[in-house]
Amino acid sequence: MIDINPKNILIRYNILVESDMTPEEVAEQLFPTDPYIRQIAKAVFEGDEDEVVAALQNTIDSGVDPLSLINDALMAGMEVVSTLYDYGLLYLPDVIISAQAMIEGIEYCKEQSKQVHESKGKIISYVVEGDIHDIGKKIVTVLLRANGYEVIDLGKDVPVEEVVAAVKREKPIMLSGTALMTTTMHAFKDVNSRLLASDINVPVVCGGGAVTQDFVSDYDLGVYCEEAADVPKIADSILQGLDIRKLRDTFHKH
Amino acid sequence: MSVKRYSSMEYDNFEDLLFGHSKYPVKTGLNLEIGAGYTTAEINYAPRPDAAENKATLVNEYERITRDIMERMVQVGFPSIVLETEHVQQMTHNPEWGADIATAQKAIMEEYHDEYGIKCALRHTVGDVRGDRERIDLRGDAYSRILESFEQIASSGADMLSIESLGGKEVFDHSILRNDMRGVVFSVGILGALDVEYIWKDICSIAKKNKVVPAGDTACAQANTAMFVAGGLLDFKLSHSVASVVRAISASRSLAAYEAGAVGPGKDCGYENNIIKAITGYPISQEGKGSTCAHSDLMGNMAMQCCDLWSNESVEYRGDFGGTTVQCWGETLSYDCSMMNTALEAGVGKTLRDVLMVSDRYRDPQAFILSYDNAYRIGEVITAHPDDMYLRAKEAGMKACELIESGSEGFLELSKFEKATIKKARNDLKSLDENMESFICNCLDIYSSEVDTFDPSNYGL
Ligand code: B12
Repeated sequence: MIDINPKNILIRYNILVESDMTPEEVAEQLFPTDPYIRQIAKAVFEGDEDEVVAALQNTIDSGVDPLSLINDALMAGMEVVSTLYDYGLLYLPDVIISAQAMIEGIEYCKEQSKQVHESKGKIISYVVEGDIHDIGKKIVTVLLRANGYEVIDLGKDVPVEEVVAAVKREKPIMLSGTALMTTTMHAFKDVNSRLLASDINVPVVCGGGAVTQDFVSDYDLGVYCEEAADVPKIADSILQGLDIRKLRDTFHKH
Repeated sequence: MSVKRYSSMEYDNFEDLLFGHSKYPVKTGLNLEIGAGYTTAEINYAPRPDAAENKATLVNEYERITRDIMERMVQVGFPSIVLETEHVQQMTHNPEWGADIATAQKAIMEEYHDEYGIKCALRHTVGDVRGDRERIDLRGDAYSRILESFEQIASSGADMLSIESLGGKEVFDHSILRNDMRGVVFSVGILGALDVEYIWKDICSIAKKNKVVPAGDTACAQANTAMFVAGGLLDFKLSHSVASVVRAISASRSLAAYEAGAVGPGKDCGYENNIIKAITGYPISQEGKGSTCAHSDLMGNMAMQCCDLWSNESVEYRGDFGGTTVQCWGETLSYDCSMMNTALEAGVGKTLRDVLMVSDRYRDPQAFILSYDNAYRIGEVITAHPDDMYLRAKEAGMKACELIESGSEGFLELSKFEKATIKKARNDLKSLDENMESFICNCLDIYSSEVDTFDPSNYGL
């Protein structure tokens, strides 16, 4: 068997760019300083559901309002996770595991509080008609929930009619649609025209393997984006008042 | 049909693994032999989106595709070609559509075969339509439709039958996003293998009845999903080492098709086919640098090392500067085959094989474990546990960890992150249950509650 030292035929760029610091070291610098809050944020970072609940309990017992902890502690922890993911220091499973712990934490805070917690906003997520590729949608859904949004997950292979009916019923701030096939992504256009026909101007954020910026730019409500991790950022921008044109300016990169 | 478990390797030595050669060549189609001393291109295509409007437009599209390919093959002087039609959903849902398309394609291929003597064969890959919107129903009505589709294409001109089966996917999708090795072993090694065995017993009977070839399956829905989420070197989504472990485990799943009677060539996108060939001696189809039209991977040359058919995975049919896309890609693949066949004739096949393999061996852990020597080693641990689906899957995963770890002492450079994940994967695998009964029992508990689409009765559990 032939064997050679590959140094002149390939470069493992992932090793070249790897940071000297571990994710834990970087995270340490980013956690909030208040000891109670820090403990909760750290538990979210570590994705430890039991620890999240224990730390929340601890803090609530000390007299803090449970609902305030959603933003101040849980979200703060998730933000550290998102930042490290953007830096390429954490990987998707780390994010999903933290997100799950975060979602448990939100539920716990809601149970502990007598007031009603308002989610940041309602979002519909789905995979287009004829398409069963749904891993990307699952990722998007978890990330949105972890960022404090209420997500109505319509599942995969969702008929245009049903998407439109759900929009009318739920009045979401945006739609997150996934398509992986060139043969199915045209369903976005049908959703677009059906919504426009009913005078509904909700952003239809589209992503998934087959979808391109050019394709999405072609219909009025379309906003394109590549990365699942950017979907919560789009939602945040909508809450800040960005309209479809401004969303395109910000998130269309090609 | 009865199931034959592999308890030893059909190849005695990894040095004997080579492209264009298999222990048990497959005769099929119009005078074609696969794995009998030469390689052949397998061109795969998708109709344009609006072509699937009705049966007539779709049949017409496939006729054009077929004619374009055959024409280019004779224009450039290639001796053989395989066409693979991967069903679009409509073709499986309406079995007579698939049948009419097979008939139409075969008629054109016969025309060219009669006129020029070009050796050729037609593979049809039925769509696995068992996963509908809300639930997966592996053994119900959709399954009957799949069998009906196989029945109809087999009697209408398809020479080789394949499917990319879904079994285990619901638990796999959940597990891979959580780095959960238990779920990976359960979904791929147990659920996947049970489903593959179940469907391939039926597919093999249909093939036998119609005198066509039950070719094989792939762990696309599992191992390729992991490979795609892992992505390129600078995609920090999933550890490439973890994707390698999934790939190794997936061989124990794909193997179940051959144990139920399939004889190859296995599907192109089954990168685990290197392991399958070492175990079974059956020919395989592979894709790599000739499938960049469909996706990027980190072993474009290496994938040729042991292939018998050389594929492009899939390309949408449309015009390009050099002809239609099927002509361009078919030509590229066939030139690759020409190079491999020349090396074989000249007696330097193994040298070329090694050049192809070494050029990617250290590009990524996924390539490293699929290098033919390492693929062989994974095959050995799988065959060491013929009667224990659980152990063979778990041991295959552990072997991949061990290979990567020892490789990193040589030229296989690993990032700190990959070193940590491979160590964790190995420990997670090691700490799983001792035996299959308790493993399955625990997993049924865990995943019935964690994954709402998981229904054990789909797997006869
Ligand atoms: C895994 C896979 C499958 C699995 C799906 C498992 C699952 N649970 O999803 C199975 C085996 C079931 C499958 C089936 C089929 N598949 Co398939 N599959 C793939 C494969 C290999 C990888 C897809 C994947 O999971 N990627 C990883 C995920 C994480 O990526 P993603 O979904 O794109 O999501 C990421 C981003 O896009 C983004 N994102 C996702 N959603 C959203 C939403 C928004 C708003 C934003 C901003 C971002 C965003 O976030 C994610 C993370 O970054 C691709 C290959 C490829 N080149 O893509 C083929 C591919 C998509 N499949 C293909 C085909 C043809 C099929 C079948 C028709 C095959 C058949 N004959 O049966 C069937 C389709 C059945 C159907 N009706 O849908 C073709 C599509 C060709 C085309 N026409 O465009 C592809 C491209 C393969 C190919 N080259 O031929 N497939």
